[in-house]
Amino acid sequence: MTRNAEAVLIAAAATLAAIGVAMVQFAAGSWLDADVALTFIVFAFTFGVIHLAFRAWAPNANPLILPIAGFLAAIGFIEVFRIDPNLAALQRWWLAIAGISAAFVVWLLRDSGVAVLRRYRYLFLVAAVGLLLLPLLPESWPIHGAVVNGSRLWVRVTVPFADVDLSFQPGEVAKVLLTIFLASYLADRSEAMATVSRSIGPIRLPEPRHLGPVIIAAGAAFLVLMYQRDLGASLLLFALFIGMLYAATGRGVYVVSGLVAVVVAGVVAYQQFAHVRVRISAWLDPFADFTGAGYQTAQGLFAMGSGSLTGSGLGLGRPDLIPEATTDFVFAAVGEELGLAGSIAVITAYALFVTVGFGIALRCRDRFRKYLSGGLTILVGIQAFLIIAGVVRVLPITGLTTPLMSYGGSSLLASALILALLGRASHEERV
Amino acid sequence: MNDPLRRTAWTILAGFLVLAVATTWIQAVAGPDYRDDPRNPRLVASRVGRERGAIVSSDAVVAARSDPSPDTSQTFVRSYPGGADYAHTVGFVSVLFGARGLERERAGDLVSNRDATISGVLNALMGGDPRPRGLRLTIDDTLQKVALMALGDNRGAVFAVDPSTGAVLVAASTPGFDPNTLIGPDSHLAGQLLDDDPDQPLLDRSIATTYPPGSTFKVITTAAALDAGIAGPSTEYPDPGALVLPGSTATISNYDGKVCVDGTTVTLEEAFVRSCNTVFARLGMEVGAEQLVATAEAFGFNSVIPYDLEILASAIPEARSFTDDPPATAQNAIGQRDVRATPVQMALVAAAVANGGEIMIPYVVSDVFLSDGLIESSTTPIVWRRATSPASAAVLSDMMERVVVSGSGRNAAVPGVRIAGKTGTAEVTGQPPHAWFIGFGPVDAGPGEPQIALAVVVESGGSAGETATGGSVAAPIAQKIFAEFFQ
Repeated sequence: MTRNAEAVLIAAAATLAAIGVAMVQFAAGSWLDADVALTFIVFAFTFGVIHLAFRAWAPNANPLILPIAGFLAAIGFIEVFRIDPNLAALQRWWLAIAGISAAFVVWLLRDSGVAVLRRYRYLFLVAAVGLLLLPLLPESWPIHGAVVNGSRLWVRVTVPFADVDLSFQPGEVAKVLLTIFLASYLADRSEAMATVSRSIGPIRLPEPRHLGPVIIAAGAAFLVLMYQRDLGASLLLFALFIGMLYAATGRGVYVVSGLVAVVVAGVVAYQQFAHVRVRISAWLDPFADFTGAGYQTAQGLFAMGSGSLTGSGLGLGRPDLIPEATTDFVFAAVGEELGLAGSIAVITAYALFVTVGFGIALRCRDRFRKYLSGGLTILVGIQAFLIIAGVVRVLPITGLTTPLMSYGGSSLLASALILALLGRASHEERV
Repeated sequence: MNDPLRRTAWTILAGFLVLAVATTWIQAVAGPDYRDDPRNPRLVASRVGRERGAIVSSDAVVAARSDPSPDTSQTFVRSYPGGADYAHTVGFVSVLFGARGLERERAGDLVSNRDATISGVLNALMGGDPRPRGLRLTIDDTLQKVALMALGDNRGAVFAVDPSTGAVLVAASTPGFDPNTLIGPDSHLAGQLLDDDPDQPLLDRSIATTYPPGSTFKVITTAAALDAGIAGPSTEYPDPGALVLPGSTATISNYDGKVCVDGTTVTLEEAFVRSCNTVFARLGMEVGAEQLVATAEAFGFNSVIPYDLEILASAIPEARSFTDDPPATAQNAIGQRDVRATPVQMALVAAAVANGGEIMIPYVVSDVFLSDGLIESSTTPIVWRRATSPASAAVLSDMMERVVVSGSGRNAAVPGVRIAGKTGTAEVTGQPPHAWFIGFGPVDAGPGEPQIALAVVVESGGSAGETATGGSVAAPIAQKIFAEFFQ
């Protein structure tokens, strides 16, 4: 029964995407064309194929995650289409590929369940670290790193015998693999890590060896920051570690020491790296260097301010004036064209996604499934929070994709993995 | 086991609440400030990139048009095919300098109505045409070009109206500029050059600059005397070469310091035709400050003339400031001292005489038309005010006709057409005089017969310099316009 409701809501999300595209075309003065039908078909296919995979191999999966993800993907896709229809045409391929990948993962885990992932935890850790380091490969290699917008986040593969470059952001998938590793690690050790062994004054500390992961996490995040100039990914990974450690152990000391580490690392980074200083000053006063560092933030504010309560209407604003409006700043584009109504709807959808995700985690009796679904939810929640916070100036701009909404195959693939794992984990707890 | 997880969930949800509050602040509270920030490129984009209606002259020459941008769909490129011809009246829409002229004042008609505002949606629901509307001007392209050509390299202005309707036929100001150079984002240097130019090309001298009107003001002084019954065309006055003003050592002399006719007496009409300062200084003192100011204000001084664009008010001081100062009254009466007038004001003085004493509200937009060419609305001529009595206007008309037939305005004459006018040579301390001519034709136009009233001013005498007079510099310019109009 709930699967039927899910199917109806997925159809609604596909219809929303198609109507959005139609409105953009109408606003541009052109008549409806194949884009509208294609968009509906691709959305119906992407989420439909995951839906069918759930029906076949995870019939008790939570029915809310797919429709919420579909809604966010639809809103994001409409803005990507509005800003660059060619990019949107590519995005449709990424959506379809992401859908197939998610269905494939559900199929893979059909008999063994997510528990099988525990067996390969160190493989995932090595793979994740390897993926994170891939962008550092020298430019002369067939698989090599590439710098985009000052950050070394991309990997480019030159396909032999074909003059084609494939690019992807390995960090997107790496963070999902890291979450699997961490969930598995914590499922084994959380009780030991929660045990108090010694006290320094009022501060009660666990065994030093259990603190190891925190220090490794801080160090890894800092290294990523240093070598890849990626403030967002390092902050996200660090927050993921700390959030999962706390959720698994209930020890506030991890949060406190994590916050201290963030402050220390932040101060050091501020003093050592010019690009961090620029980000901070652009955050504090984007209009001080309006044409330079503060430009993107200011354009985002102009866009959202111009959108006001109800927005300019789809296709009638100028989100194309915002730098990176199809990725980092897609939230500002939504704010401009759909107004406060649209941006609050997006925030609410993320909040719903997080609520459903934690709901799954809370109902899990199995530790690994609990930490896995909780960790994946933390991942999506914090990533959405960090990037939107950058747009609305709650935090400095961190440079992350907006989960499910941004243009980009790597990001969508990561989101699809998360959907598949959350669906499968929720199914297993209801069996 | 679940409590830490629950707390983590609440923390993240609290984070989203913070985002919701921040977003609400940006969009709902600070929104208008961001929206209206001059650095917001949307202002510029909506100004420059949207489709705007065409602006055409009365003889269907395109003054402004929008074409789809070759680069990006959805945006349009504005161009001004006439270059400097309509630069001041039509104005421009610029990325850097905002909008001027009709492009600014009539943006409500010119800009597309297709948007998601409540009024836009209502308009669409009511079946309204969302496309931008165009403007048809009253300006005659041929006359406008003749006026600009006649002004040449001089600083100056021509303003011409149809006296019976107020329709503007010429609105020319030189030097001008090419608005096409000011549109784009790379127009900074062009704008800077225009701004720094001491000749102020951006200034619309026809409506936004006042000059001492000199002897053209004698039309008003005469109207004051006629309306008050103090004098008629045949009233006789002494004819000295110079007049010592009472209570002072100051004198007012005629243009060349000589007597006007023979040094005995001269009729008011003869004095008008020859523009004798001594007679009008005396007449001004007889009329008195009160009557002089009242008449000038009846002609539109000290009022903002209603118009499609903002007109600088012409000025005469309050009567009580010179009631007890006969020398000031005398000097004001010949259009010197504290009297200042725009070319449009002096064109309306001529138009009032041509139109039996009534001034029509000047207008430059005759029709607003839809994108398919159908006229949506047309301007109806409206009487602005009565400047002088029909009888006084008739007398003035005769006197002004004689100025062109046999007086200082002979250079404005067009064979076969009854032209009336008045010259002015406004003295300015330390620089050459401004050369004026105001006039109209034909005198006693029949019903439906085309008629034109105009004012010409050449700043600081133009290329003639110190030797310039209204008759020698401004009247020939008027003649060219009359000749074209009556061709």
